[in-house]
Amino acid sequence: MEQEIRRVAELIVRAPLTRRNWRDLLYCGVGGFAGIAGFWALVLVLLAGLTISASVLGTVVGLLLITVALRFSRRLGALHRRLLKRLLGRQVEAPPPFQPGTGILGRLDKRLRDRPAWRGVWYTLIKLPVAAVQFYSIVLTACGLIDVSFPVIWVLFHNHSGGPQHPLTGFVPIPFGGNIDATSWLGTFPAAVAGVACVVAGAWLARGINAADARLARGLLGPTSMAERVSELERTRALAVDDSAAALRRVERDLHDGAQMRLAALAMNLGMAREKLSDDDATVRELIDAAHRNAVDALADLRDLARGIHPPVLDNGLASALDSLAAISAIPATVTAEIGERPAPAIETIAYFCAAELIANATKHSYANQIKINIFSERAGVLRLEVADDGIGGADQAHGTGLAGLAQRVSTVDGHIDVASPAGGPTKVTVQLPLRAGGDM
Amino acid sequence: MRVVIAEDAALLREGLTRLLEDRGHAVCAAVTDGESLLTAVAEHQPDVAVVDIRMPPTHTDEGLRAALRMRQDFPGTGVLMFSQYIETSYSAQLLEGGAAGVGYLLKDRVANVAEFAAALQRVAEGGTALDPEVVSQLFRASRQRGGLSTLTPRERQVLALMAEGRSNAGIATELVVSGGAVEKHVASIFGKLGLPPGESDNRRVLAVLRYLGGKPQRQDG
Repeated sequence: MEQEIRRVAELIVRAPLTRRNWRDLLYCGVGGFAGIAGFWALVLVLLAGLTISASVLGTVVGLLLITVALRFSRRLGALHRRLLKRLLGRQVEAPPPFQPGTGILGRLDKRLRDRPAWRGVWYTLIKLPVAAVQFYSIVLTACGLIDVSFPVIWVLFHNHSGGPQHPLTGFVPIPFGGNIDATSWLGTFPAAVAGVACVVAGAWLARGINAADARLARGLLGPTSMAERVSELERTRALAVDDSAAALRRVERDLHDGAQMRLAALAMNLGMAREKLSDDDATVRELIDAAHRNAVDALADLRDLARGIHPPVLDNGLASALDSLAAISAIPATVTAEIGERPAPAIETIAYFCAAELIANATKHSYANQIKINIFSERAGVLRLEVADDGIGGADQAHGTGLAGLAQRVSTVDGHIDVASPAGGPTKVTVQLPLRAGGDM
Repeated sequence: MRVVIAEDAALLREGLTRLLEDRGHAVCAAVTDGESLLTAVAEHQPDVAVVDIRMPPTHTDEGLRAALRMRQDFPGTGVLMFSQYIETSYSAQLLEGGAAGVGYLLKDRVANVAEFAAALQRVAEGGTALDPEVVSQLFRASRQRGGLSTLTPRERQVLALMAEGRSNAGIATELVVSGGAVEKHVASIFGKLGLPPGESDNRRVLAVLRYLGGKPQRQDG
């Protein structure tokens, strides 16, 4: 126990002698200065911007000043992060880089909503008192060092015989306050003791305030919090899902207006050529026949391909697309549709391919006589697709790639799939989807 | 035969025009969207219109919508829908008002020039020309309601060809059987379905389609 206390006491008293202490103090000086200078620069520009933008005429200038301040805030944040890393070895990750918008208004809007820059402003504001404490720790250490040196100074400069004996005045900064006058060599010792205390206190104060500063920087100058990151990811994922749906639709349309149309024209021309051919051109006729057949086959292939990419009937809404699916189902299928608000194209596509896959599954494995397809808006923002059959059941999400693939596809928009298929049947698969990607369920 | 063509792809529009003019038909107008189709039909009063389903501005079903309006406003003009896809809901809407003067073919069918021209001719004369794919989809839809189960496979084949708009002779050629055999099948089909046998091809088709029922089951909310 006693050893323990001695160890801790040693640790505390020795702190000023470590390298780390000098680094801490250096950071207190440089970082504190950067903090205070940055604070004034940023606050001046920002306040000017806010004041001017409040007036009708100055809105543009004011907004421009605010964007300048926000840009500066990002730079300042980078500087603080660098100082922390260089002097204290504390790594703070940089926030995501600024994403400029398109167009003048878009750029301005993005700039004004630049969250990392605004958080940087908060850091700069809070940094002001922090910098004051950092400076204080330097002052404390400096005073302490002077006081500690008094016995030596006394010996060197005040120990002349016969000279006037000015008292040495040791200074202890607030809040301990007060002067310690020494009129004799022995009298300098209390000042020296007070100096040691100041140096130790300064070291620990610097260490503490720097730790707090680093935490603050990590919170305000680092990447956004996990929750914000997650919502950002959700947003971008929804964009990606919508984008890919739009891209697939574009591909289908390009096929329809391009390759499919050209092939149809080619087949038509070949057909006309064949008609004009006299019967004695047997070889040419054979060749043209073959070309003609190939063109027709290619058209059929291309049609299947395009339908797999984006069924054009989806453009008329999910209900009529599902009707078409039911109509070509090998097992008799009926559709009940009760869709209120029309879902986003990406969601319609997912629902359509789910229904198609589930009908195909039922056809292949269930031995059912009847398939019922139900699609309705369960509650605001949620679309529910049910595909039920009266077959033998035993469908399992864990086996077979079909259902697993569906689950994967549905999960890209945070949908759920639920399979109820006891052995012996009946099977009912329920798919829940948000009305739009990134929507709440 | 006087024809109006509505097709937004220039290559196909010109090809069709050439194909028809080659065979001695008159192409009064070749337009690129639904609105101008209606204008052209009103102006030229053609025997038949060839209509692409996907046309500007939305590239979804404006051709079909224009065709439906044509059926109402110009019942004397035949409509041959012409598309890269067969969609049951489209055929259902198209056949809702009866099958006279209606056609619905895949664009592929134009490759067989003679058959395409014949189909167009049938539609112009108030007959029917349905793509085999349309027929098979309608078959499935109607089989779901039962009723065709009593037909033998051969009779179903004959019924399908009838629904496409073929004559007895045409069916006989297609199935490589005698005309008499086809007549027997047809009579048997009508018997099983409880339809009175008719004389003209068109009445047979109408009866078949009425039986098949264009509209698939669906309860919309």
